[in-house]
Amino acid sequence: MKTIIVLGVVALIAVFIISQYNRLIRLNITVDEAWAQIEVQLKRRADLIPNLVETVKGYAKHEQSTFDAVVTARAKATTATTVADTAAADGMLTQALRGLLAVAEAYPDLKASTNFLSLQEELATTENKVAFSRQFYNDNVRELNTAVKTVPSSFFAGFAKVSEREFYEVEDPQDRKAPNVTF
Amino acid sequence: MQAANRRKTIGLLVGMGVLMWCVVYAALTYFGGSGAGIVPIAVGIALISVWGSYYGSDKLVLTMTGAKLIQESDNPKLFDLIQEVIIASGLPMPKVAIVIDSAPNAFATGRNPEHALIAFTTGILDAMDRDQLQGVIAHEMAHVANRDTLVSAVAATTAGAIAILSDMLTRMMFFGGRRNREGGGNPLALVISLVILILAPLAAMMLRSAISRKRESLADATAVSFTRNPAGLRSALEVLAADSTVVQQRSTAVAHIWIESPLDSKSVSKLFSTHPPIAERIAVLKSMESLG
Repeated sequence: MKTIIVLGVVALIAVFIISQYNRLIRLNITVDEAWAQIEVQLKRRADLIPNLVETVKGYAKHEQSTFDAVVTARAKATTATTVADTAAADGMLTQALRGLLAVAEAYPDLKASTNFLSLQEELATTENKVAFSRQFYNDNVRELNTAVKTVPSSFFAGFAKVSEREFYEVEDPQDRKAPNVTF
Repeated sequence: MQAANRRKTIGLLVGMGVLMWCVVYAALTYFGGSGAGIVPIAVGIALISVWGSYYGSDKLVLTMTGAKLIQESDNPKLFDLIQEVIIASGLPMPKVAIVIDSAPNAFATGRNPEHALIAFTTGILDAMDRDQLQGVIAHEMAHVANRDTLVSAVAATTAGAIAILSDMLTRMMFFGGRRNREGGGNPLALVISLVILILAPLAAMMLRSAISRKRESLADATAVSFTRNPAGLRSALEVLAADSTVVQQRSTAVAHIWIESPLDSKSVSKLFSTHPPIAERIAVLKSMESLG
């Protein structure tokens, strides 16, 4: 009887350890996958840009500074490797693209061209996908970091070789714009 | 909000279990041993009929609703929107189908996220803009994430078993199957069991509808956690509320799977409705918007 109880307790502890370990590993893999998704979507956006810039150029030749900003930001975005660098370049590119679309507003012929319309739709969905992949990544990083820092899963973090991960934080002035309050 | 809805679902499922137990108890009181034999038969019939349709839910619903599967090349814009929600939710890509019907509506089914199917009427695709459609897709994918096909299958099985059981037992009463006709038991207990047997199927249906309503509210909340944009789903629901056309097929069997109930709301009383009132859902989403 006694041995059965002891065996039962040992089995319970083993199940507990395995589930904690697996949870950390699974979270870590999800964060990796979420990061890969961000990269896929950023690449997709980068691939859209040359075509978009060419199309806008065809109608709006005198907006060289806007084109330069987009091209520079794109170059930065495609070479960044770390989370922080990628996020910074991503924010810059988002800004530059907004500038480009604002320029397009002033050219009715451009706005009416089917090529531009389909590129605009493509860009809209890609921007959404970038934003959602960011959101999914950050949600999972938050869950992983909480697991790494809180008891009991924190006991197994070293053993599972899982540590805290970096959030993907984009500097977007539009997000931070506080409302102007005048008294 | 999501946690509260989950708790309520569990409470309602427990209620179903208690109801089932009451029926079994009533059967035993009224018929003694012979009543006990019927219980496994009723549960068996309900299990086979419901779980067969649960397992093949994606294919079965396609036939019942006349939905046609489509590929990415058929509607790239719709697939773009679905992919956005897929990325936000981390779920696998579902099968996508279209129902040719001018009434705006949509549904999701499938036994697990890997076998999910979401379908849209041509009406909803025409009536909604990007953000609204994204909200609808998020609502459908929320059903997939919350495994609502499973939840409704469990509810349907229990409700079905209760219905079959009471039906069989009431029939048996007419054939005078009761034991100890002369000896009687406690007459009060007999009357109570009789009442339970008659009312149980009704109560089971109400519980089943209540579970469906809770799952709808939960799906709205989960959808917002995917898109972080309550305004999209809210304005989509406003479009649905303003539209008075209903999907052509009015089978009650598949009513619960649509985003908006296909049954004329006036003909369905609130207790038996599979969906919460649309105005209530809009109000909840509005309160989420004001939270920022």
